[in-house]
Amino acid sequence: MSTFSGLNTASTALWAAQRGLDVTGQNIANVNTAGYSRQRVDQTAMGGTAVPAIHSVGTAVDGGVSADKVQRVRDAFLEARAQLETSATARLTAEAGTLSQVEDAFREPGDHGLQSMLSDVWSGFSELSDSPLTRASRSQVLERLDVLADGIRTTRAALDQQWDQTRDGLQALVSDVNTAATSVADLNGAIRQATLSGLPVNELSDRRDALVLQLSQSIGATAVPRADGVVDVTIGGTGLVAGSTVTAVRLAGSDTADGIGTDAPRLVTQPGGSTLRTGGTAAGQLTALTRTVPGYRTQLDEFARSVATTFNAAHTAGYDLDGVPGQALFDDGAGGTAITAATLTVRALTPEQVAAARTAPAGTGGKPSADGDNADAFFQLSLAPAGLDASYRRLVVALGVESSVAARNAEVQSVVSAQVDAARESVSGVSLDEEMTNMMSFQHAYSAAARMVTAIDQALDTLISRTGLVGR
Amino acid sequence: MTGMRITQRAIAQTALQGLNRNLGDLGKLQEQLTSGKVVSRPSDSPTAVNRSLQIRKDQAATTQHARNISDAQSWMETTDTALTSMVAQVRRVRDLTVQAANDGGMTDAGRTAIAAEVSALRDSLLGLANENVDGRPVFGGATSGAKAYEADGTWVGVGSADGTGVVPIKRRISNDEQVRIDTTGLEAFGPPGGDLFTVVGRIAADVGAGVSVQGDLADLDVAIDRLLTAASTVGARAARIDNAAQVNTDRQLALTKQLAEVEDVDLPKTIMQLQFQQTGYQAALQATAQVIQPSLVDFLR
Repeated sequence: MSTFSGLNTASTALWAAQRGLDVTGQNIANVNTAGYSRQRVDQTAMGGTAVPAIHSVGTAVDGGVSADKVQRVRDAFLEARAQLETSATARLTAEAGTLSQVEDAFREPGDHGLQSMLSDVWSGFSELSDSPLTRASRSQVLERLDVLADGIRTTRAALDQQWDQTRDGLQALVSDVNTAATSVADLNGAIRQATLSGLPVNELSDRRDALVLQLSQSIGATAVPRADGVVDVTIGGTGLVAGSTVTAVRLAGSDTADGIGTDAPRLVTQPGGSTLRTGGTAAGQLTALTRTVPGYRTQLDEFARSVATTFNAAHTAGYDLDGVPGQALFDDGAGGTAITAATLTVRALTPEQVAAARTAPAGTGGKPSADGDNADAFFQLSLAPAGLDASYRRLVVALGVESSVAARNAEVQSVVSAQVDAARESVSGVSLDEEMTNMMSFQHAYSAAARMVTAIDQALDTLISRTGLVGR
Repeated sequence: MTGMRITQRAIAQTALQGLNRNLGDLGKLQEQLTSGKVVSRPSDSPTAVNRSLQIRKDQAATTQHARNISDAQSWMETTDTALTSMVAQVRRVRDLTVQAANDGGMTDAGRTAIAAEVSALRDSLLGLANENVDGRPVFGGATSGAKAYEADGTWVGVGSADGTGVVPIKRRISNDEQVRIDTTGLEAFGPPGGDLFTVVGRIAADVGAGVSVQGDLADLDVAIDRLLTAASTVGARAARIDNAAQVNTDRQLALTKQLAEVEDVDLPKTIMQLQFQQTGYQAALQATAQVIQPSLVDFLR
């Protein structure tokens, strides 16, 4: 215990209070910074005997305070949960978005949907059965059929476009992921070096953790803490970032919706080429690419095929204005039968070739019949309990159910996610009241330490200047 | 310290989320009010959309049925008018024939005059038998030609003399009801060779030649009976069609109402909701403004 040890103690106290004020300042400065974790000075009392022993005795109480360590206040468990919940929210939001876009493609209920086009066709045929001999009523049937085929092709084109856009979006997301992963690896390297040299890494860690959360959102990444403040990032068990090395992600698989049967779009590692079990937005988009959009595409194709089959069968059962049996109404645009929603086309028939009559010319004395019974048979197709209307309605209702369930799931999940965010914010967020209180206590601590210096100064002054005057 | 640590940012975020949700609900209500529709996409309510699609389809069908009915009505009117005129003219033929048969002292000139008038009436009857709607002869059956009878009285409509081969022309007046609208010449005027026009033609010839017309009169009575039967059938069908028109109109109204119930907003209710929502939103805004502002900073010196 030396004469000046009191001064030393006071100076560590001054330094600690100053450091406390600095950190408070940093916290206040970042009160609104996203991803910032509040920091806290870890103060430890110094001094005291290290190891008590018989001969090593001391009565020292001074030693001061150490305020070297500044820590980020965060809850590792909550951070891990945040990654999972963010990923789930992003996935469900993407899925709900996909279905909502599919709904847009179908434009139901309304006057521009396929149901209304189909109803127009039925009305057109009923009209034709009223006046099977007039050219106008024959050509309006062909027009309405054309509108229906066009409507089906437009809907299919909207779905195809959605598929292409989603794939483009996923491609962009993959390059974002690769950039973010590289940044995480770089920050990992910097953090390790700084940690080894004993430098503060809190801000670097915050930045890195924000990037990891971004990766959770886009591809469902999770982080595993390693030594020296480094984290490893994995996607569904496959490593994306290990320390400061990165494995790139690549979008593999067909780039057309037709090719998904054999070569479904997927995210793979590069190098390696092993398929990733993704989460987040990427998982939602992959679901859109491999299941949702192709599913509705297939259903629309089936609908187009049954439109063609039903109408062709009904048409060939009748006789046209020249008494000739009706031909097929629809083909695939090239005269074939490879009909999909994209190829459904009304064949180039003249109005006279519309088979409105049911009675063969032989039954009417060799002359074409003017009965509109075949046209009415078309109308009756609309009444079939398992007809085109019913199957289309089933499609739309199933879409509505799937979409509303997806929207509700996304809504529920976003509430969960918001709760986790609130809990994280509660641990890591900056509270101004708290900072102001801390500021006051550090300020007072500083004043007190300064007063301590003054007191010791006065004591020493007394000792040095006022003592030893006897006999002078 | 127990419980959650509350920070300014947490309060701000919670407030923002709450305000967003409030504003979202407000937006949804406003969209409903401006569009007038509660259901604008399948996910809004899949069951309502199912119903809406059905009703819209039924509406299109009833609109078409209304057109079919109106077309059927014009056929019935034309047919009825033609038959009524023909009955009157055939009665005149019968009067003339009876006159010719009973007046023993009739001169050749008198007989010739009667024969000429009967012959003219035959032509007029043939004209009426070729009455048409939109160019289609109403007594011609399913013929694609413009006439039911040639000028010489030959049957050129669809159907054989023995009544077979008649293709009825029908109109769909509701989803599950079709009504026949045509009456072929075979049914109304008799089989070719023994039909009204042949009988009347024979009367003209017989009166002109001074031959007995007793047999012709009997044939004419049969023809008149046929005409009256045809007219009453047409009347019955017309009544049925008129009834269907009424039913169809009622159905159209009912469907419009049903679609409104399924799709349209309940205005008073929605406006009330909008008011509540607006009040709530304003309250939230005010509370947020007051909560976010103060912190210890305001009270320290």
